[in-house]
Formats: sequence, C-alpha cells, structure tokens
Amino acid sequence: MKELKILAVLIVIVGVTYWGIEPLAHSIMHKHIEEAIHKYHLPDYEFSDLGSTPPLDGDPAKGKEAFQMFCASCHGLKADGIPAPMDPKTAAMSFGVVPPDLSNITSYTDKKFLFHFIKDPAKASEFKKIAMPAMGLQDEQIADIIAYLDSKAKKVHGEELFKEACGRCHGAKYQKIYAETPPDALKKYLGKVPPDLSIIMKAKGEHYLVAFINKPQALLPGTSMPRVGLNKEATEDLMKYLDEISDPHKEQRQKVGIIVLAYMLVMIGLTYAWKKKIWKNIH
Amino acid sequence: MEKKGGLMGWLDKRLAVDALWKVMMSEYYLPKNINFLWSFGVLTMLVFVILVISGIFVLMYYKPDSHMAFDSVNKTIMMDVAYGWVFRHVHAVGASIMFLVLFIHMGRGIYYGSYKAPREVVWVTGFILFVLMSATAFTGYLLPWGQMSYWAAQTITTLFSKIPFIGPDLVIWIRGNYIVEDATLTRFFALHVTLLPALILVFTAIHLYAVRVVGSNNEDGIPMTKEEKKEKGIPFWPVFMSKEYFVMSVFLLFFFFLVFFNYKFAMDPINFQPADYLQTPPHIYPEWYFLAFYEVLRGFFFSETLGLIGFVLSMFLPLFLPWLDTSPYPYISGKHRPLFKIMWWIFVVDFIALTILGKLPPTGLFAWLGLITSLVYFAFFIALPIISKIEKKKVASGGGQ
Repeated sequence: MKELKILAVLIVIVGVTYWGIEPLAHSIMHKHIEEAIHKYHLPDYEFSDLGSTPPLDGDPAKGKEAFQMFCASCHGLKADGIPAPMDPKTAAMSFGVVPPDLSNITSYTDKKFLFHFIKDPAKASEFKKIAMPAMGLQDEQIADIIAYLDSKAKKVHGEELFKEACGRCHGAKYQKIYAETPPDALKKYLGKVPPDLSIIMKAKGEHYLVAFINKPQALLPGTSMPRVGLNKEATEDLMKYLDEISDPHKEQRQKVGIIVLAYMLVMIGLTYAWKKKIWKNIH
Repeated sequence: MEKKGGLMGWLDKRLAVDALWKVMMSEYYLPKNINFLWSFGVLTMLVFVILVISGIFVLMYYKPDSHMAFDSVNKTIMMDVAYGWVFRHVHAVGASIMFLVLFIHMGRGIYYGSYKAPREVVWVTGFILFVLMSATAFTGYLLPWGQMSYWAAQTITTLFSKIPFIGPDLVIWIRGNYIVEDATLTRFFALHVTLLPALILVFTAIHLYAVRVVGSNNEDGIPMTKEEKKEKGIPFWPVFMSKEYFVMSVFLLFFFFLVFFNYKFAMDPINFQPADYLQTPPHIYPEWYFLAFYEVLRGFFFSETLGLIGFVLSMFLPLFLPWLDTSPYPYISGKHRPLFKIMWWIFVVDFIALTILGKLPPTGLFAWLGLITSLVYFAFFIALPIISKIEKKKVASGGGQ
C-alpha cells in the first residue's frame, strides 16, 4: 500500500512536469500561430480576402487563343503539345524561377484563386517580388483561359503532385527529388534557398503546414513563400504524401510497438510471480 | 568453501568468483525497510546498458561530419537501415529517461539522508556520475546536427566566454572555431563515444564498491551494522533482485511505450530541420533535464554575471550536501526530521517549477517567477546548516528524535 502511495506521488510529479514542458510550453510558444489561424479562419479554401469572381464559365477555344497570345511566351502546356519556350536553366536565369507548365494547374489550384492570381499575381500570392507580372487581361479572357486549362487538366497525386505544386522551388532529396530551379537562382529570387521538404512533416506537423501553405504571410510575416492557392483536395493529398515520405516506417513502428508492449506485459506477470515466490517467507 | 568441479570450479580457483559473487550479490545484505525507490540505482545501470547497446548500433551508420551528420541520422539510420529507427528512438528516449531515473534516484538519496555519513563517498561519486552523464547528454545532443542541437550548443558554449580573463579564448578552444562548426561536432562526437562513457564506467565501479562497503541506507535512516543487516535484512541476490526484475519490467513497459508511441518529448520537432548558423530559431531551450539549471541562469534577468554564478552554483551545490547538513540526529532519514522534510518538498516543487519555466519565454510574469524560483532553489541549501543547528540544540537539550 505504502509503495503504491509513493508510486502515485511519482506519477503526479512526472505528470505535472510533462504537462508543463510539453502541452503548456507549446501552447504558449505557438500562441501567435494559433491566433493567426483563428483570425484568418485557416485553412481558408475560399480565399475570401480576395473577394468574389465573375462566373468562371468561359470558352475553352477562345481560351486557347488567349493562352497562346498572353501566356505561352513563358509557360508551356505539354498536355496540349505546347512546349515550354525556354529550357529550365535559361528560364530560371531570366525570371528567377522556372515558370510552371500549366497542364494540370486547375486540378490542384483553386479556380477562384487562379482568377485573382492571373489578374494580379503579387496581390493574390501576397508576395511582392513574384516573377509573374499582372497581364492586364479582361475578366472574360481570364475566364476563357481557365476554362481552356481546365479542359486539359488531369488529377495528379503524391510525388507527381509534389513535383508540380512545390517542386519548382522545393526539393525532397531523400526521395531524390531536386528543385527544378537551380539553388543559386532561387537564392537570388527569394533571398534564401527554400528548405528541403523530405522530413518537413516531422519538423512542422500537418496542422501548421496546412495553414502555412494556405496563407504563408499570416503565419510567417515577411516570408518569401508565395501563396499558391492549393485547393482542399490537393492540400490533403500533399499532406498524405509528405507524411509518408517523412515517416516511412510508421506502420512497422506501430506493429512492432504493440508486440513489444505485449511482451513486456508478459514479463511483468512472470517477474511478479517470481517475486511473490521468493518473498513468500520473508516479512 | 566446498569443492566444486567443472568450469565454475576452475574459474573459482583462478578468479575467486565464488567470493566475488558472495560479496557483490548473495551475501550483500540490504535492510528490509526499503521501498521500490531503492530499485532506481539498478535502473540507471539498465538504462546505461540500453544506451550503450543502441549507441553502438547508431554509431555504425553515423557520420560525424557537419555535411553528412544530419542526413546520416535522418535518412540512413531512420529510413534506410532495417530497424535503424528503433535504435535511434531507443537512444534518444533512453537519454531522456536516464535523467528521470537519475533525478528520482538522487531525490530519494536526499530525502532519506543517504548522502550523510558514512555514505559521503557514495554521494560524491554519484554526483560525479550525474555530471558525466550531463556532459554525455550535452555532447550527444549536438550530433544529429539539427537546429536545436546547433543552437543549444552555441548558447551553452557561449556561457564560457563570461569567465573572466580566459573566457573568450576558452570558447574558441572548446569549439575549435569561432562558431560551432565541424570541428566542434567532431570533438563532441569523440568525447561522447569514448572518454565520457569510459569515465562513467569507472565511476560506476567506484560508486558500487562504495555502496558495498557502507551498505544501503533505509527508510528510517537507522544505522545498521553488517551483522544486524545479515540477521534482519535480505540478501541482494535473489531476494532484492527478484523485486528489482519486477520493477524493471514495469519500467520497461513505460520506456517502450515512449519509444514507440510518445517519443516527441525526446526528439524535438525543430531538430528535424538541419542546423543553420544564419537562422536563429525563435525559441532556444535545452533538453528538459537541463531546464531547471537553465532557468536559474535566466532567472537573474537583470544581471548576466549573477545568472552565470547562480547557474554554476545550482549545478555544483548538491555536491556539498554531506557537509552542509551536519545534523547530529542518529536517524538520518528526512522522514524523522520535520523541518528538513518541509524544505525537501519545497525544493522538489521548486525544481519542477524551474523546469517548466525554463522552457517558457522569459518575459513579463515568467521573468519574475524565474527569479523567485531561482532564489527558492538556493533556500534549500542555505536552510540545511540552519536546520542542523536547530537539531543540534534539540539534541543538546535532550529532545529530538
């Protein structure tokens, strides 16, 4: 009985300390993050700060014409046989970053966001130094272009999604994925080489990453990460992928963990029985 | 001694294994009135063995080079090597849990007066083991070369620059560079895997030898001769160890739960970002077991020098416990010393408060709480001579126990 009391005191002491250095400390240290998430209702897949858009029911055929006139000088669209006008290295040298191929852009980018982005890239991305200028297009032209892009886009998942959505600036070297834009060009464009994302899920956690990707400036004011307008589906797909690559042995860990704990339970039973036997005649 | 044949007999003739076994195990008697807190000494050895074994495995794949260290830990060991992640988790959680076990072991030693005569050498060697273990943990924490590894090492080595006259040169000498860099990593690695564990082994041997000479203390702190213990006590083997194995099993259940399902407290998420000497993380804090001492350092927020003196004192004052506490009570246990007991509890609560405050940003209310808790920490050591004096008077006037 007395020993159980001592154990209870120990558990209280250890429990209070753990509570203090883990949940309490983190809630205080990450207060500004929770506040930002709360303030902007992140993740906000409506991108409501950008306002509304006219109906996005443009004409793909007209969109293709507009695309060739306004977009194709920088962007390719392999899905429709339009190659990138420059090789990645030259493009990075000229613009600071490789312009994306737009084949699947509407499958992972929110279309309303895309409308605002084409209208005013710096404003929508919340990144003043963004390489793409405002093109001064009419609302109908933008709607046509989006309709055209949408007619060619196919869904991408996992690694492919990562490469298309993040891979122009970020690599995941543990997966042998390297940023499409050379590091020196990125450093010039963004001020620093963007972090490798191989184990970013372990460093930042899903809660933070989802909110950060959704509105980088809210969580890390002054960051050179632009808002890219990933839609809900793509964000979730990406989180799943980042979790898998950062923790490839999760399933194995849980399986082995259960076996080891079960083994220890058996050991507790055996050692307790032995102790009882030895101590039977002592007291 | 009875004649024995076979291998044991052969060995006994040459190494006296029988006599050794008797002295160390089967005829080493412990008092009966001890509780499971007395099992924590053997638990520290268990954790040390776990650390050595898991350490050898991670050592096989670790690269002590500032360009390769981070990837060798987070890619090679964690992802490529079969079950490499088990050994890393065990090693990281083991280091953390070592300090939990040590703190309980030391707290028990203080509460029941186990540092008092005739066990001063046990206490001093134990304290040296604590310092060695701290040094091993500190050097080991740099090795994964993550952001927190780097900045904790940077911050703590900077402290040495405050030492008068030699400080600035000393820091460069310790780091082998003007900042924490490859040279620092390599030398921390060397210390972590060779000198420090070797010294721990040596002092563990002296610690155990000293305990065998003076014997274990007990809950009531009653001095017992070897004969009394033999008559009323229990032999270390098999009686005490049968209980120890049960305690070990319960402990290991808890340990492996942490290893597999709750390891984040020992593997800080920030440390999964590679070290970057151009980017200081918003919060720098040491591992939890150094937080209390770290908070004493920050507690005197108005004076860096005072903080540093406080920090050094907070780490080394416990060494002098046997000479601060000169109480003449024959029963040395805190159980029978009401004033001491009160101070011990204040000390424990204060230590927890310091640990928690050590991780919080030192601003506003937290800064003042840090100062108060730092002062209370020293109150325990100042109170000991005073309590001793009061108890001396009581004994002189025929009172006391």
